[in-house]
Amino acid sequence: MEKVLLRNIGVPDSHLLATYQSRGGYASWQKVVSSMKPEQLIEEVKASGLRGRGGAGFPTGMKWSFVPKDNPKPKYVVCNADESEPGTFKDRLLIEQDPHAIVEGTLIAAFAIQSHTSFIYIRGEMAFGAKRLEQAVQEAYGAGLMGKNVLGTGYDIDLIVHRGAGAYICGEETGLLSSLEGGRGWPKVKPPFPATHGLFGCPTVVNNVETLATLPWILERGAAAYSAMGTEKSKGTKLFSVSGHVAKPGVYEVEMGYPFKKFLEEDCGGVANGKKLKGVIPGGGSMPVLKPEELEKVNLDYESVQAAGSLLGSGGVIVMDETTCMVRAALNLGRFFAHESCGQCSPCREGVHWMEKILHRIEHGQGQKGDLDLILNVAGNIAGNTICPFGDAAAWPPGAFIRKFRDEFEAHIAAGKCTVTH
Amino acid sequence: MDPVKITINGTEVVTEKGKTVIAAAAEAGVAIPHYCYHPKLSIAGNCRMCMVEIEKMPKLQIACNTQVAEGMAVLTQSPKVLAVRKAVMEFLLINHPVDCPICDQAGECMLQNYYMEHNLQESRQDVGKIHDRKKTIFGPNVIFDGERCIKCTRCVRFCQEITKTNELAVINRGDHATISLFDDAVLDNPLSANVVDICPVGALTDRDFRFKVRVWYLQKTPSVCPGCSTGCNISVETYQNEIARFKPRINDAVNQHWICDEGRYCFQGLTEGERLTTPLIRGEGGLMPATWDEALRAVLTGRGSNRATAAILSGRSTNEEAFLFAKLMDKVNAVTAVFYEERALTETQKILMSPDRSPNWRGARDMGVGANGGYEMLMKRIAAGEFTNAFIVGEDPIYTSADAAAARAALEKLSFLVVQDTRLTETAKLAHVVLPATHFGEKDGTYTNRNGRVQRLNAAVLPPEGALQDCEIFSRLLELAGEKLSYATPAQVFAALAKEVAAYGGLSYAAIGDQGVDLKSGGAAAS
Repeated sequence: MEKVLLRNIGVPDSHLLATYQSRGGYASWQKVVSSMKPEQLIEEVKASGLRGRGGAGFPTGMKWSFVPKDNPKPKYVVCNADESEPGTFKDRLLIEQDPHAIVEGTLIAAFAIQSHTSFIYIRGEMAFGAKRLEQAVQEAYGAGLMGKNVLGTGYDIDLIVHRGAGAYICGEETGLLSSLEGGRGWPKVKPPFPATHGLFGCPTVVNNVETLATLPWILERGAAAYSAMGTEKSKGTKLFSVSGHVAKPGVYEVEMGYPFKKFLEEDCGGVANGKKLKGVIPGGGSMPVLKPEELEKVNLDYESVQAAGSLLGSGGVIVMDETTCMVRAALNLGRFFAHESCGQCSPCREGVHWMEKILHRIEHGQGQKGDLDLILNVAGNIAGNTICPFGDAAAWPPGAFIRKFRDEFEAHIAAGKCTVTH
Repeated sequence: MDPVKITINGTEVVTEKGKTVIAAAAEAGVAIPHYCYHPKLSIAGNCRMCMVEIEKMPKLQIACNTQVAEGMAVLTQSPKVLAVRKAVMEFLLINHPVDCPICDQAGECMLQNYYMEHNLQESRQDVGKIHDRKKTIFGPNVIFDGERCIKCTRCVRFCQEITKTNELAVINRGDHATISLFDDAVLDNPLSANVVDICPVGALTDRDFRFKVRVWYLQKTPSVCPGCSTGCNISVETYQNEIARFKPRINDAVNQHWICDEGRYCFQGLTEGERLTTPLIRGEGGLMPATWDEALRAVLTGRGSNRATAAILSGRSTNEEAFLFAKLMDKVNAVTAVFYEERALTETQKILMSPDRSPNWRGARDMGVGANGGYEMLMKRIAAGEFTNAFIVGEDPIYTSADAAAARAALEKLSFLVVQDTRLTETAKLAHVVLPATHFGEKDGTYTNRNGRVQRLNAAVLPPEGALQDCEIFSRLLELAGEKLSYATPAQVFAALAKEVAAYGGLSYAAIGDQGVDLKSGGAAAS
């Protein structure tokens, strides 16, 4: 399979403009800015079938088309580089190794909605990545690829790299916008949606790093080439960051629809040390865990993973072998989400911590009869009832862990200790 | 209006495009429980209490942010809705101390009320509560109890959106999120205590009121703030015949939901000090107790015939009092003025406060008091010795004057001074006759605010025995002066003034109601 996203990874000095341009970089941007109409560009991306790679999988071209053309306010594109889902590290690879692809993709998206100021919002902890992006932006300015009168076309575009202060919720698009506006990283109620009332109340598109980095290839090779890859509803390729008890952890690019079992066993070398597989979280820490039998026929595309009872999400594949204590795993995730709950809306603010405390009690041998049903009930009361999807993200993992490994949880409570590792 | 037809719990409701479901439901008489929603603040959507079921929508929606659409079918009491409300209540109570027995909000707490309506279950939380800060002083008027806070952020939004002073912020995350003063700020803006009113729980309490009275013992009387001429609508709340607090009363035409701190606490100045309960007449031994009959006769006989009288009426006097006072002063050919004092206001003060401290300066002038001259001018003329008599009602020029000695010297020149007031003020101590009267909280009547809105105040407490209502004092003096009166109550006086004062023509007590009415002609022009 031809690499769309990882094509420059591993090339010496892949982060430099000269290297990027020597491999055809910015040709798509030149083509877009000098010869395409925004509507034409949007149609091309729609035709490619590209869906957002941040987790929700919303069609990218359609998202752009929601931006009103007749709104006189400034329009913004914000590249969401606030990656921080447990188990997800695909964007970081692109940010550090192929920053110009992100810059070029952001410029293309900006042109699609006729934005003249756009942003790359990067997680504060990614200091090295931020440096690489800032360097890439400066190089692009120096080459006249952005700024005033880009390549003599009359189009002006400024791109600003903004470092966040480090909060998971700032990866949620409206929380990101609040943070970018200088406020507390709190999600906003929708409607209104960012497409009409986004950054500073202006029309805004927020796209994930991977989504934007895909655009140069699509514009270079054409929508048909991209949509020829993948499945009927999940087009193209996707990055998967693989971690946990796996022989070859790392970031992989595969065609959508790639069989998971083959991916795990052949591409990733299978479960490490010859151990048996116990469970896999297929889409980052917020997604429900799947048991080995549920993974038998799963393919790596949105629909297939959903049919199995989980979601593709960000593509953060977390592999757990037979030695994994699922109580501890659930607590580990619960602790993360409790720490990262922004505290804005009642169910998430109070409920996520409550679940974590109960899990903590079970893990430490103080579990009580009824704890599992209580967690399931609390999780059910959180999911779907919060301002942003964080509530779902925090509620799904413990719910899934308990439903799928209930025996192990019950044994843990009964024994007052882990029955897997002790 | 762009009408939209929806159904709420199966009942058809015609509402307006752009309205939110919660507002449309409220107008239709359907109360949707809520904490963070406030009609005058931006939508936060964070409490999740107002979730409703809307046909064709897969998830429950928050009624505070969902706009009505033609044909929308809303359910506010479905099993799904009731279940989520119960869950939200449980979440809100997880870390709440449930210290209702010692909480000042008890009796008017939305947590208590909604718990009774929607939860009513034993706590399932047995993993320990988060303990936030207790008794944090936010400012001169407000104290914060973090444990009771449900992070609805109404107070934060109030300081961001209404006063624009930004003293408050949310800090920390998750269940450690809490309200805090921003950096080194102090919550001392001119409207600061409104955060207490809008706090739906007992997190923000009033430093003056806390621990004074359980709210269910309070008698509530609708009235108008006497603090300045804005005429903010208030509820005068009393316990055992004493004013315990003022609370804002909603009136979108005047003060929306707010009152300023100066107005909120001005009742303390009205009621403090020892009350006069007996008329006093100056004799050889100084001011001596007298009967009302003796004192009222002394008012009319002591001035001597054909001697010039300067008459000063308080701007806190009602229209009815001013109307009778004007008639009385007309009988004695007096030169009248209404007390007037103006101050410069900051931008935040201007949100509600008037530069004019007298709540009924405009109304008194409409009634003919001071129509030909101002207070300052009259005081100068008294100082210049142009008058031998003076009748001062409800004001203490020695206290209010920037130059107390000069004011005292001016008043000491008078050969006959009548003071009608609630306390033996420095001015009253110089008087030849002192008439014990009533304060704002003890009287019925009307005020006309600076914008020409006539509003009713209502007696909330009884005056002490021995003091008389100002209206009654004026009526009795008028009768002694030979005027035949056919009215006794403020409502009857208002009916009379509505006939005689053109701008008030056609108005009645009933028409004024609890929300007031604007004068059609705009009333007399302020000068």
